Amino acid sequence: MRSGRSVGLRTAHVRQLKLTSTVLKTGLTPSASGSAYFELDPGPSSSPPSASTIPSRSSLKLTCTVHGPKPLPRSAPFSPQLILSTNVKYAPFAARQRRGFIRDAREKDLSAHLESALRGVIIADRWPKSGVDVVVTVLEAEEDGWWADEFDLGQSTRRTNFGEWGMMTVLAGCITAASAALVEAGIDCVDLVSGGVAGLVRSKSGTSVVLDPCPSEHEDLVAGCVVGHLASRDELVEIWSRGDNEDQAITLVDHAVDAAIAARGVLASVVKETTALRFGVASTDSEDTAMT
Amino acid sequence: MAPYTNIPLSPAELSYLHTSLSSTPAIRPDGRRPTDFRTLTAESDILPSANGSARICFADGTEAVVGVKAEIEKSSKSIVRHVAHGEDGQEHSDESKGHGEDAWLQISVDVPGLRDDDALPVFLAAMVSEALLADGELKNRLYINSRFHWRLYVDVLLLSPPLSYPLPLLSLTIHLALLNTRLPALVSQGDEDPLFNDDWAAATPLYPHHNNKNPPITLLVMAVGGNAFYDPSREELAVADAVLAISVTRLQSSSSLQIVSIRTVDPPSRLTASGVPKDLIAGNASANAMEARVRREKDEGMAVWRPPRGGLKRALIAQITKNVLSDGVVNDILDALVKVNG
Repeated sequence: MRSGRSVGLRTAHVRQLKLTSTVLKTGLTPSASGSAYFELDPGPSSSPPSASTIPSRSSLKLTCTVHGPKPLPRSAPFSPQLILSTNVKYAPFAARQRRGFIRDAREKDLSAHLESALRGVIIADRWPKSGVDVVVTVLEAEEDGWWADEFDLGQSTRRTNFGEWGMMTVLAGCITAASAALVEAGIDCVDLVSGGVAGLVRSKSGTSVVLDPCPSEHEDLVAGCVVGHLASRDELVEIWSRGDNEDQAITLVDHAVDAAIAARGVLASVVKETTALRFGVASTDSEDTAMT
Repeated sequence: MAPYTNIPLSPAELSYLHTSLSSTPAIRPDGRRPTDFRTLTAESDILPSANGSARICFADGTEAVVGVKAEIEKSSKSIVRHVAHGEDGQEHSDESKGHGEDAWLQISVDVPGLRDDDALPVFLAAMVSEALLADGELKNRLYINSRFHWRLYVDVLLLSPPLSYPLPLLSLTIHLALLNTRLPALVSQGDEDPLFNDDWAAATPLYPHHNNKNPPITLLVMAVGGNAFYDPSREELAVADAVLAISVTRLQSSSSLQIVSIRTVDPPSRLTASGVPKDLIAGNASANAMEARVRREKDEGMAVWRPPRGGLKRALIAQITKNVLSDGVVNDILDALVKVNG
C-alpha cells in the first residue's frame, strides 16, 4: 500500500496489503507507563528502476512514550481534567536535512495537531488534578520529496517545492502509535484512534486520489489530508487538509478515512495482543466486532 | 493549546447554553442567526512605512494590526539552473509559474501574554500561511527573475488578549492587508539586477483588482449537536462539540469558491468541569461511590453538563463544508472587505 495506488482497490485488499507493511509494537520502553513503536516499511518500489543509486523512497519510524497519569506539581492550579501535553520531535538524523535540538515551528505544529486529536479520545474527567505526557520521537521521517530532484538527477520534471507533504504521513503515524501507547498506559479512551492520509496527485492525464501517498514517488502531489478516525463511532477527532484540492475536499477526507480504517486493523490486533499478554487472558472476538 | 482554560461559566450555565444552541432552531446567546457574523470595524492603509497594512476591531474589543513588508532577496542556486533549463525552449511558456517557494512568505503572530514559542501563535501562523500558500499563486507572484525574489513578511499584532479564538480576526486582517499591499513597479528586464520605479503611485498591487482573485479567508465554524455556527463568541465556544477552521478562496476563472484548507481546532469546552447530579452530591448517602460513577457515566450529559467526548460526525463535516461553499457568507465577507480597501 506504500506505493500509493489509486483508489480502485477494494478496502479489503488495502487492509491486507497494509498489514504486511506496517509494524506496530507496544511496551518497548519499560520506564514509561505506555509506549509504542511504529514503522512504515517502504516495500518494493513500484516505480521503474532509475540509474541513480539514491533510494527512491523513505520509510517512517517513530516511537511514542506515555508518562502518566501522574499528579500535577503542587504549584499547578487546580484542574478538573487530565492535562495532556504532547511533544513531537524529529531526531537530528531523522531526515536528509538535519534538525536542531530545539523544536522548530513544524514540530510544534505537529504537536498541536496530535494534542487536539488525542484530547478528543481521552476521557479526561476521570483524572482530575493529574497530567499525562505523550512524547513522540521520529527516528526516520518521510522525506518531502525524492531528494535527487534537488540536483536534477532524476529524469522526471524538476521541482523546487516539496510542500512538506511528508509531515502528513508522520502525523498519521503519531496518532496511531499514540493510541496504542495510551491503551498500554491504561488511560481510558472512548475508542481507538487511527490516523490515515490521502493525497491528490496531478498528472498530465488528470488528477487521481492515492491512499497513503509517498511524496518522493509522485511527481506532483497537490493536496493532502490527514484524519484521526474513531471507527466505532464513525467520528473524526482530527482533520488536516491542505492544498489545491479542486473541490474534492470531502472526497479526500473520505479516502483518508479508508486509510485510517486500514491502520485500525493493525492497531486493534496489537492492542488485543498487548492486553492478552498483560492480563494473561485469551483474546476474545468481541473486539473484532467493535472494530468493523 | 486552548486560548484560555478558566471559562467563567458554571456547569449549569454551560448546560443551558448547550441546550439552546443544539435545539432547532438554534438560539444563540446574542440573538444572531447561525450564519451571522459579529459587527466589526475595519480600515486599511494605516501604516505609511509598510507595503500594505490593515486594522480590524471586533465588537467584543479584540483588535489586530497587520503590516506587510517586502524585501528583495537573492535566490538560491537551484532556481538559476531551472531557468537555464527553460531557455532551451523546453519550458519557456512556463516561465511565470512554478517558481515560487513556500519559504518566501513569512508570517509571525504576536499574541499579548503568550511567548513567541507557545503553541497558539505557532499554530495560528501555520494555519494562516498554509491557506495563503495553498494555490501557489501568491508565492509565484513574489518571483522577480532567476536571481532575485521578494520576501514577504506578514507581521500580525494582536492588541488585546484573545477572548475568543482569534483566528477569524487574524485571517480577515491579513486578507485586508494583502489586498492593500503594493510592490514597486519593476523597470529592469530579464535577469538584470532589479531596478524599480521610485514612484509609489506606479506600484503594482500584489492582488490586482481587475481579476477576481483574492487571498483566502479562514472561517471558524463551530458544531453543537447537529447545528453549525459561524464566528462563535467566547461563551459559545465554551460548549462547542467541535470546532473547524476552514479556509476558502475565490477561484479566478469563475466566481465559485474553493476550500483550500481544513483543520480541527481543539475546543475549550473539553477543559470545562462536569456537573454533578443533585442526588449524588457529597453528603447525600443514597449511593455509594461506584454506583455514583456508573450513573454519571450513563447520564451522558443529559441531566447535567459533561464536557464533550469524541469528534465530529463525518456526515456533519460534509454538510458544513457544503454549506460554507453555498450559503453566500464567504462571498459577502470578501465583497465587504474589497469595499473597505476602496
